[in-house]
Amino acid sequence: MTTETAQRRASTAPLISARGVTVKFDVARTGKQMIALSNIDLDVMEGECVTVLGPSGCGKTTFMNVVAGLVKPTSGSVFIDGDEVSGPGPDRAVVFQDYALLPWRTVFDNVRFGLEMQKKLSDGDWRDRVQNAIDMVGLSGFESSYPRELSGGMQQRVGLARAFVAEPRILLMDEPLGAVDALTREVMRDEIGKLIAQTGKTVLFITHSIEEAILLGDRIVVFKSKPGEIKEIITTGIEGMGSERNAQNDERFHELREHLWSVLANEAAAASK
Amino acid sequence: MTSFLATGPSLGGSRVGAWLAGLSLRSRILLISAEVVVMLALWQLVVGVFRWINPVFVPAPLSIFSGLGDILSSGAVAANAPASLQAWVVGFGLALVIAIPLGLLLGVSLPVDRIVGPIAWAIYATPSVAYQPLAKAWFGFGIGPVVFLVLVSAVFPIMFNLAAGIRTTNTSIISAAKVYGASKFRLYPAIYLPSTVPFLFAGLRQGVVLATIGMMVAELSGAAVGMGALIIRSTNTYQVGQAFAAIMLVVIFTISMVQVTTLVERWVAPWTRGAGK
Repeated sequence: MTTETAQRRASTAPLISARGVTVKFDVARTGKQMIALSNIDLDVMEGECVTVLGPSGCGKTTFMNVVAGLVKPTSGSVFIDGDEVSGPGPDRAVVFQDYALLPWRTVFDNVRFGLEMQKKLSDGDWRDRVQNAIDMVGLSGFESSYPRELSGGMQQRVGLARAFVAEPRILLMDEPLGAVDALTREVMRDEIGKLIAQTGKTVLFITHSIEEAILLGDRIVVFKSKPGEIKEIITTGIEGMGSERNAQNDERFHELREHLWSVLANEAAAASK
Repeated sequence: MTSFLATGPSLGGSRVGAWLAGLSLRSRILLISAEVVVMLALWQLVVGVFRWINPVFVPAPLSIFSGLGDILSSGAVAANAPASLQAWVVGFGLALVIAIPLGLLLGVSLPVDRIVGPIAWAIYATPSVAYQPLAKAWFGFGIGPVVFLVLVSAVFPIMFNLAAGIRTTNTSIISAAKVYGASKFRLYPAIYLPSTVPFLFAGLRQGVVLATIGMMVAELSGAAVGMGALIIRSTNTYQVGQAFAAIMLVVIFTISMVQVTTLVERWVAPWTRGAGK
């Protein structure tokens, strides 16, 4: 942990840098424009895990899609290591809320999908890499299962393996545990925390769970809705990740949770008016 | 026959449902056989023994079976089935050749959908009987009109299902493919085509059934040979048992073709097999 923290502090230029990102959608039914994101500025350092917290419809997923290169901002830009994002790239991988697995592919073939599309199957060791990723997320023995034969939690493990095997610098996670049952959610949250810590990836983690935001994030970015803007950015200041944070005994955890509750409750009340 | 017994949302809830869902394949076949035997026995009693219904309108099962023996031994089936089979196979084959590329185009391209779509729906919505007189004028009295009606009946369900499959491709799967580096061109073979396969087979199953109906419509109105001609001739000479036997053969053929389609689907697309959840 200490060497990683040192590495984080050593790099001064941000890996992800959002400048004035604004996204407007035309709403065909009403003919009006909807402002999904307004003037977002955010820097994420290499090796940092930033959690994005906000009520439904605050634009946090849109923001992730802009970073992923799936949505073009109406104005403003996102830079990865200084290069402006113009579309998806092998430096970024996404874990989707609804898993987005290919139902016609087995677990093994789903995990290798990224390597296949990026034409990395000529690398001699790709089979080992795919197998390692499957082992890493705890799916050994399910290589030839189809997604429909797996539980939601297991399907998301496939989604994680598919992201890790592509060896991106940045992992974008769009409420990855949003569709998973409560118990699995806690177990997987801790596992994701460990994986992030082990691999030292830079992570943008979208969530509406306060616990996830605190337990996984080095910093928490709180979004407000109508229009989607950054309300505040909080440094958690807790070492470790997931269960390593031993959250229940940590005073800082309770302090953060209480604070975020009151912020989000106000936001939710404002959004429903 | 297994697809008739596949578990669905309504099964497994009640005690009977749970019992049915838990049966082995062998027990299920046995159950269906028993059901058929009981039905046939009742039918035989009502028509053959008690004569509550005039057997000229609905023949008893035993007279259908003797009719089946008659048309098999007299060579009537051997004389008529090949013509029907040929028309069916050629018509269905042509339907595939037309429906698959057109269905893909319809699903992929909004302009094609807007321009060709309404015309195709109009032809599809026209009852196939209405084409029969025209088909005769166009294709004469041989196999031509039968092939045409099989084609017209089968082509649209295949085409529209295929197009719907492409248009309803899961958007987050498309996003995932883009994120992991799929070019716009590669999305077609990698994402759109495989995800439309279950729709294609749903269309094929409908196409099989409608193809037979088209075939019957063409053959019943004055074809010289074919199972439809055999049915008409038998009915006109009050050989109702033989007519029903011929109908039964057509039904068995159609169900077999639906089953063949399902088997091909399981082989081509094993992921659609109803396993687990």
